Amino acid sequence: MRKAVDYGARPWQQTHWDARAAANFVCGGMGCGLVVAAALSGAEGVARVAPVVAGLALVASGLIAVFFEIGRPLRAVNVLFNPRTSWMSREALVAPLLVAAALAGATGRAPFLALAALLALVYAYCQGRMLAAAKGIPAWRAPLVPVLLVATGIAEGFGLWHVVAAFTGARAPWLAVAFGALLIARIVVYRRYRQGLGHALHRDAVAALDRAGRVLLWGGTLAPLALVALAAVLPGGPWLAAAGGLAAAAAGARLKATLVLRAGQNQGFAIAHLPVRGVRT
Amino acid sequence: MTATAQRVPTYCYQCVAGPDLLTVKVVDGVATEVEPNFCAAEIHPGGGKVCVKAYGLIQKTYHPGRVLTPMKRTNPRKGRGEDPGFVPISWDEAFDLVAGKLNAIRASGLLDESGYPRVAATFGGGGTPQSYMGTLPAFLAAWGPIDMGFGSGQGVKCYHSEHLYGEFWHRAFIVAPDTPRTEYLISCGANVEASGGVVGVWRHANARVRGMKRVQVEPHLSVTGACSAEWLPIRPKTDAAFLFALLNVLLAAPRERLDLPFLGERTASPYLVGPNGYYLRDPASRKPLVFDAAVGAAVAFDAPAGAPALEGRYSVDAIEVGPDDAVLASGRLEGATAFTLMAEHLASCTPEWAEAICEVPAARIRRIAGEYLDHARVGETIDVDGVTLPFRPVAVSLGKTVNNGWGSYECCWARTMLAALVGALEVPGGTIGTTVRLNRPHNDRLKSVKPGPDGFMDYALNPTDKARWSPRPNIRNAYRTMVPLAADGPWSQALGPTHFSWMFLDETPAGLPRVTPPEVWFVYRSNPAISFWDTPSVQAKMARFPFVVAFAFTRDETNHFADVLLPDAGDLESLQLIRIGGTKYVEQFWTHQGYALRQPAVAPQGEARDFTDIATELAHRCGLSREYVGAINRGVAAVPLKGPGWNFELDPGTRHSTEAIWDALCKAASAELTGGAESHGLDWWKAHGFLARPHPQLDWYLYPTLAAKGLRFELPYQERLKRVGAELGARLHENGMRWWDRQLEEYRALPAWKDFPALWEEALREDGHDPAAYPFWLLTARSMQYAWGGNVGMQMIKEVADNVAGHRGVIVNGGVARRLGIEDGDEIEIAAPHRATRGRAVVREGIRPDTLLAIGQFDHWATPFAKDFGNPSLNTLATMSLALTDATGSGADIVRVTIRRANAVGHATRGRAA
Amino acid sequence: MTRWAMVADLRRCVGCQTCTAACKHANATPPGVQWRRVLDMEVGEYPDVKRAFVPVGCQHCDDPPCMDVCPTTATKKRDDGIVTIDYDLCIGCAYCSVACPYQARFKTPRAAFAYGGEPAPHEAARHDPARIAVATKCTFCVERIDRGTAEGRTPGVDPEATPACVNACISQALAFGDLDDPSSNVSQLLRHNRHFRMHEELGTGPRFYYLWDRD
Repeated sequence: MRKAVDYGARPWQQTHWDARAAANFVCGGMGCGLVVAAALSGAEGVARVAPVVAGLALVASGLIAVFFEIGRPLRAVNVLFNPRTSWMSREALVAPLLVAAALAGATGRAPFLALAALLALVYAYCQGRMLAAAKGIPAWRAPLVPVLLVATGIAEGFGLWHVVAAFTGARAPWLAVAFGALLIARIVVYRRYRQGLGHALHRDAVAALDRAGRVLLWGGTLAPLALVALAAVLPGGPWLAAAGGLAAAAAGARLKATLVLRAGQNQGFAIAHLPVRGVRT
Repeated sequence: MTATAQRVPTYCYQCVAGPDLLTVKVVDGVATEVEPNFCAAEIHPGGGKVCVKAYGLIQKTYHPGRVLTPMKRTNPRKGRGEDPGFVPISWDEAFDLVAGKLNAIRASGLLDESGYPRVAATFGGGGTPQSYMGTLPAFLAAWGPIDMGFGSGQGVKCYHSEHLYGEFWHRAFIVAPDTPRTEYLISCGANVEASGGVVGVWRHANARVRGMKRVQVEPHLSVTGACSAEWLPIRPKTDAAFLFALLNVLLAAPRERLDLPFLGERTASPYLVGPNGYYLRDPASRKPLVFDAAVGAAVAFDAPAGAPALEGRYSVDAIEVGPDDAVLASGRLEGATAFTLMAEHLASCTPEWAEAICEVPAARIRRIAGEYLDHARVGETIDVDGVTLPFRPVAVSLGKTVNNGWGSYECCWARTMLAALVGALEVPGGTIGTTVRLNRPHNDRLKSVKPGPDGFMDYALNPTDKARWSPRPNIRNAYRTMVPLAADGPWSQALGPTHFSWMFLDETPAGLPRVTPPEVWFVYRSNPAISFWDTPSVQAKMARFPFVVAFAFTRDETNHFADVLLPDAGDLESLQLIRIGGTKYVEQFWTHQGYALRQPAVAPQGEARDFTDIATELAHRCGLSREYVGAINRGVAAVPLKGPGWNFELDPGTRHSTEAIWDALCKAASAELTGGAESHGLDWWKAHGFLARPHPQLDWYLYPTLAAKGLRFELPYQERLKRVGAELGARLHENGMRWWDRQLEEYRALPAWKDFPALWEEALREDGHDPAAYPFWLLTARSMQYAWGGNVGMQMIKEVADNVAGHRGVIVNGGVARRLGIEDGDEIEIAAPHRATRGRAVVREGIRPDTLLAIGQFDHWATPFAKDFGNPSLNTLATMSLALTDATGSGADIVRVTIRRANAVGHATRGRAA
Repeated sequence: MTRWAMVADLRRCVGCQTCTAACKHANATPPGVQWRRVLDMEVGEYPDVKRAFVPVGCQHCDDPPCMDVCPTTATKKRDDGIVTIDYDLCIGCAYCSVACPYQARFKTPRAAFAYGGEPAPHEAARHDPARIAVATKCTFCVERIDRGTAEGRTPGVDPEATPACVNACISQALAFGDLDDPSSNVSQLLRHNRHFRMHEELGTGPRFYYLWDRD
């Protein structure tokens, strides 16, 4: 027997936002995290520039993806017109500031890098609030979605920093510790978010989300934690850490993509009362 | 509104629930929108509105697949797999081809060696094409005998038994509740929210909000069931048991609860029935006798008011006259009143008995009968147009599959008796008729009431006496020979067993002249290759017809077998008048009556021509112009051109343009409506769209007319039908025809329950199949969006219809689907013993586990757009079967099938019903 | 003040889609786009099954989530309550579409015609490139309302000033009018009948009321 209130024509996976929109959240979040990690790493030279540029490239690729998704890309500048209420406008406003600050920071001016880190956090937060404002999708409009998106973005970025570091030779042991802490924070936030959804989700959304959640736990938290711990003691540590970072980033990407493309069922329709047909029976 | 935009009034009669009125917005010569005709809101019982189908007319007009030039076949081989090789030709060449064939027939004789008309014509949709074919009826009338009995579904898939018995009992070709006043309605399968049209939907919505309770008795939760207060998922084809049980409960109640005066004075309940089952009659006058308790003796039924006994057995001096005027008994005979016989007949039909058959719990049957009785308000009156009439706000309506095929006689009788017992027949609030098509005049059923024998209405039964019955039928479906109730009017051909024409092409049964293919077959607005039964066989037979002329909209499965395609100007492109108002099926009850004009909103596309042009040309080329114009003058096209005080007749010696013809008809119509005071021509009608005058609501009810003429309803005892059946049987046997014997059993004076579902199982066994292997009842239901078929090619119609459950496949019960491993959307195979088809499963809860539902009629393979639906059709799986044909010549849309997932690999899980 | 609202009487609706079709005619929407449509809802398990038909579309909410999220201010709400879209501002980001809890918004990426390929004459006559690749939705037939009120007609009463779906409904299930006028048809319907709004718990304040029983 279905639940009392939901007489709805069944929910269906939204198709308004496709893989290009998912890419914006996936790349945007991890790009921001990478910028934050770069700012905190204290690295110099290539070791600092590389992650910053990589992070910006990720953010930019997300925005380019949505540029090709929107119906009227030639009017794209209109996206800035409603910062008063729209988190998409706000995201669009922060983006150029983030790019400017990050580029300035990449060239060595430390205060700009710190500013870029701050703007990156704001950008990730905007993305989280964007998703949460979509009242049509139960899995998105949960209160913990902004925190979740920021948490996973940072965790992914810290993970990717280790990937870049394996190539640039950057060393920041305490960053690895922070990375580990972020992984734990991420899984905790995810679990709280998942519990908060309760029974509000369509069963297909639940199935998809739970699959992504399992990947997040095993492939995105436990495995990277183990790899990072091993990296501290084994030779080839940086590559182990990189593997862990990549796994963490991939799991986060999977989660966000699932949220947008598989667990993005709308809530369908519901009537509070069935009509009385002639007489009350 | 810009200067180049106009709103053109016209009518829609795409289905029999109309006609309804609309306007077409035309901008710079392009039809862009359909809208209601709000100018008609005052008189149209549906607020001047049209249903969703009419909104498809724009796409229909501009359909890219339209046949826009005449075409002829170049491939002489006909078959489903054969490309006809149609090539465009001029109208001149097309007329040459058609008229050439027709004139050859005129030269050789209009009837062939079997005595059948060489020319046949099939028009679809319950007479609706007549309102789109201009003056073609006048050409057909001028021609002479035409066989219009090659069915596309009419007569057998419609409300067939209701048509015949309804007209017989209360001039009700279609029966309706008096919805604006009804308070309690039992509906056995009548899907009015899907098939009742604008007016049906409008009336029932108002009734619901007012508080009318409708109980929907149907194996699936149709759109109508959804809108009803209660749904009883009855086992298919067991409605007669349910209805008999209701009667049983009513008869078990104290007699005072019934309408005793109605029964005593307006029905034949007091008539005495003799030992052989025929009325006891006065030896001298031969009038049926009743027992007058006041004088303690038998008197003629029409003796001055005494106290005729409603019940009991009495010894009286009488004769009993049986079939062929034989006096079966005479002297002191014991007679039981018809009412007593009926009560005894139904005594065993208790709700408990019915529950075992129909699976509706006995307690519910009892409660519903009680509610019906409670709401009947026996004894109450109401004022209608200043006349006091009985007020009985209870009604029973029947739908397809209940009022056709085996069991339909029983259901129709029981429904009518349910009305009669409480005096709710043909009175305000009750069960009333809409119109007549077998009696005349068609536009006024009250005027069709004439005194007949034994105090009943006259009815022109086809003769069954030795002198006049003939085994040589006038057309191939042999209605005149086989079905007395079909009468012999212009509509009778389509109300005979229209599947016989197809069936007997293979083998004509003993006694009938060999059924021959027609030499010329006209088809219009009809697709028998889709809409009849056993469609592959029908297609194969069509392929044998030597010359088929199809008036074509797009290519379709029937005109695939044509020799000539003719593009007629479409719904929004041509001229015609239609009668509106008065009372007419399905729930068209107006307080006005008049005419409406259909006019070109846009110029015809391509080479399409107004049907009146085509008819005039055909008449000319066949040398029938005088007769053709004469028929128009007589009123075959819409309205007689001459009346008391006006004469707009056309000169039969001249050729008249389409505009001139319709101008004259318009003038005659307005003269008729205004008693000659006005005579508006075509221009006025084009501007105004319609003209109407008041029609008294009093005329919705037959009761006052019957009472005024001192006539009775021929109920409960069917003595006349019993006699007619015995005579028919005698005639058939004298002629060596024994293949109708099972049907002859239906001619019982009191219909009885037979195991109707078992008849379908028997039919399977007789063909060597195990019914258990085909455990599901496949049914069909109306789709408002698609019916009546001309809409299947409309993209917008499909788009919006897909919002309504069941339009994308076959509805299967959820529990059954789970058990068979079928999920919503899975492709499934639906199989009858001889054939299978495929479709998608639509898994729902609102259907019996032993029932499947295939809405509409699909399985197209030629009609553009529709051929890609992948929707199955019951018609592909149904057979044409004599065994499953009832006495009035109808069958039902119900087939035993099995299902399985189509992509099941290896061992398939064959369906088992719950 | 004027507050336009739509009332759908679920007791009357038969799911026929006449309103769906009429809306498509009045607004020349492309294939697949149904600003107004009617759902077919089934609830229960055999044999205790009920089925209802529910007209849906833009609810012209008091607090429209679509307006808040729209980055371009293309979506606005008028004083009389009608939520409008400025097609020329819209960038087609579909953010409003995911924000709408009523699935009321559509976007047609490129010109599409009923039978593919070329437009039929009526489609060609009414094709509007401005509505391609941007958000579209029910407008309460705002042009009819504005033109009608300018001519002194009453929306919901005079057909010329009334949304096409309301005009077309063959069961009289749909009504349209001014909630701020206590004598309007919608005000009276709401006063005399029990009603609810859809997804009310989301705080959108829909202007679409569903009747289900008399009071």
